[in-house]
Amino acid sequence: MVFLTLSCWIRNRGPDRFWKVQELLKHARHFRGRKNRCYKLAVLAVRRAFVYATKSRKLKKRNMRTLWITRIAAATREHNMKYPILMHNLNKCSVQLNRRVISDIAITEPRTFLSLAKLARARQQEGFRAALGDGKEPPGVLSRVMLQ
Amino acid sequence: MIMAAVSRGFAALWRTNGVRVPLHPLLSLCAARTQSSVSGDLLPQTSLSSPPWSEQTSFVSAEEERSRHAAVVSTVNDRIERQDFGRLFAVVHFAARQWKVTNEDLILVENHIEAECGDRIYLEKVLLVGAEDFTLVGRPLLGKELVRVKATVIEKTESCPKIHMVFWKRHRFQKKKTIVQPQTVLRINSIELYPRLS
Repeated sequence: MVFLTLSCWIRNRGPDRFWKVQELLKHARHFRGRKNRCYKLAVLAVRRAFVYATKSRKLKKRNMRTLWITRIAAATREHNMKYPILMHNLNKCSVQLNRRVISDIAITEPRTFLSLAKLARARQQEGFRAALGDGKEPPGVLSRVMLQ
Repeated sequence: MIMAAVSRGFAALWRTNGVRVPLHPLLSLCAARTQSSVSGDLLPQTSLSSPPWSEQTSFVSAEEERSRHAAVVSTVNDRIERQDFGRLFAVVHFAARQWKVTNEDLILVENHIEAECGDRIYLEKVLLVGAEDFTLVGRPLLGKELVRVKATVIEKTESCPKIHMVFWKRHRFQKKKTIVQPQTVLRINSIELYPRLS
């Protein structure tokens, strides 16, 4: 031991423990109970909160999409149609509006949404007409349909 | 394709005071099928087995459809010539997202844009334009000579620091990273329609 003066005898720990602790506690100030004051409890709670926030940023995208789909489905059912019919026919018309915008339109612009629903319905009818045709076979084909 | 009004009868333009055709029952669909071996219904009839609306469709001849379509297009053309509409809204594709936009709107875009603050910008990919009485639906886009959306870059900042943390319990694995994204704020100045519908 070579401590020749008092100032060499005293250990010099780091000077900024207080601020490091405060940096963590500031993320915990709105928590409930002792986790907003006591460092040991706050460490665990803050770590959990950060991990939940990270995971939820991915979940939020999924949840918002299901919400939009629910809203669009409800709005189309008011116009006597179903959600898959609307989306499929809008795709076939090459109208590339996404679900967020269609749900916003359904909420704030009801007439525009009605026009989109009618467009999808017309495209559906045209698809049916194209599929069913005249009820006759193409020329040169002999089958039961001709004999009826 | 420039706009929906042109193609073949399924008009995306709809007048608000349009007359509905009285519905005729549709016969030809069932007549083409042969008789099935199952005599009864395949599913029991409950309150939810069929939708609460009736599935009847009206039959409109091709000439009637064309005349109606022409009437609608001419009405909308008149409106656009006279610039008679009030406030317009547009659906714009910008920065990999679609935005429903009107005048005096603020848009926060979560990435960097190659334009300085105060620059005026045209947003060119317009998917839909609507006014109070009519809508123009693009398939998928509307033409640049039809609609023009003007915007100004107001602010270029960074987002608040978001914390990305991963933790596996009992594995002594923990990572923490702070993410700061550049952001841009745009103000939509105006949306203009030019009378060039065909």
